Amino acid sequence: MGSLNRIINRIRLYIKITHIGDIARRYFVQNGMDGSMTALGIILGSWAAKVKEPYVIVMAGLGACLAMGVSGLFGAYITEKAERRRIIKDLEESILSDLDDSLQQSASEFAQVLAALVDGLSPALTAIISLIPFIISMFGGLSIWSSYVISTILAFSELFALGLFLGHVAGEKMIMYGLQMVIAGMIIAFILFAVGGYGAV
Amino acid sequence: MSFRRKPLKVQHSIKRVVLDVLKLRDPPLPEFASTLCSLPNVEDVKVSLVEIDQNTESVKVTIEGRNIDLDNVQKLMKNHGAVIHSIDEVVVQKESSINP
Repeated sequence: MGSLNRIINRIRLYIKITHIGDIARRYFVQNGMDGSMTALGIILGSWAAKVKEPYVIVMAGLGACLAMGVSGLFGAYITEKAERRRIIKDLEESILSDLDDSLQQSASEFAQVLAALVDGLSPALTAIISLIPFIISMFGGLSIWSSYVISTILAFSELFALGLFLGHVAGEKMIMYGLQMVIAGMIIAFILFAVGGYGAV
Repeated sequence: MSFRRKPLKVQHSIKRVVLDVLKLRDPPLPEFASTLCSLPNVEDVKVSLVEIDQNTESVKVTIEGRNIDLDNVQKLMKNHGAVIHSIDEVVVQKESSINP
């Protein structure tokens, strides 16, 4: 128990030193929205194209999740690594001493990994949540059309929830932020149905 | 029967030291002071801000205790992104013990 507390305190100190909390929050919302929007695009696009096989939608969705996850993981890690190297060099110049094996160095490595995990996992998580009804449908638990409706509601709910979170962060009207995110999702729906989805629904 | 006086072993232990330190702004002063206070033999730590810059802070660190190990203090400070500029004050106490 004592060692767990020590680890938690150490992580808190790392977050405080690197200010990675704010950055991770941005990564989480931005990429979470990417995941929701991508899933929404796949779901509505499949609906417009009258895809009746849940397996096709699940595989397309998982493929997109995997691509976003891996891209986020590596992209954020390398980006954060470069940024942190620059910061460490600046700090070393400030005190005219190296920071090898220092708290700042360890905190910097922790920040890279945390940023990569948040960036990689948040889009994958939001996309997978939207695909759950199709996974259930694959095993015969839901009809394909019910899956379309429930998945679309789930994707919009995620967008709304992310908006609420942003409103909470800003300390402003949460519902307004939530609605803005929903409107962004509705733009996708509108374009998809306008371009080629006359046969949908 | 003769009484032989046992030799006295005299040791000098640092009980107070005041350091002029240049540290990075992170970790902040409370964490920095708490970490120094976790060193063995250290009982009190006082850190006063002297000057603040974009990335660094000049601080006056007063450490009190018994038999303070300056090497340990220096190592810990370096590990936390701080360098000792000068030792401004030292109080040393004579501690004598009888060698067996």
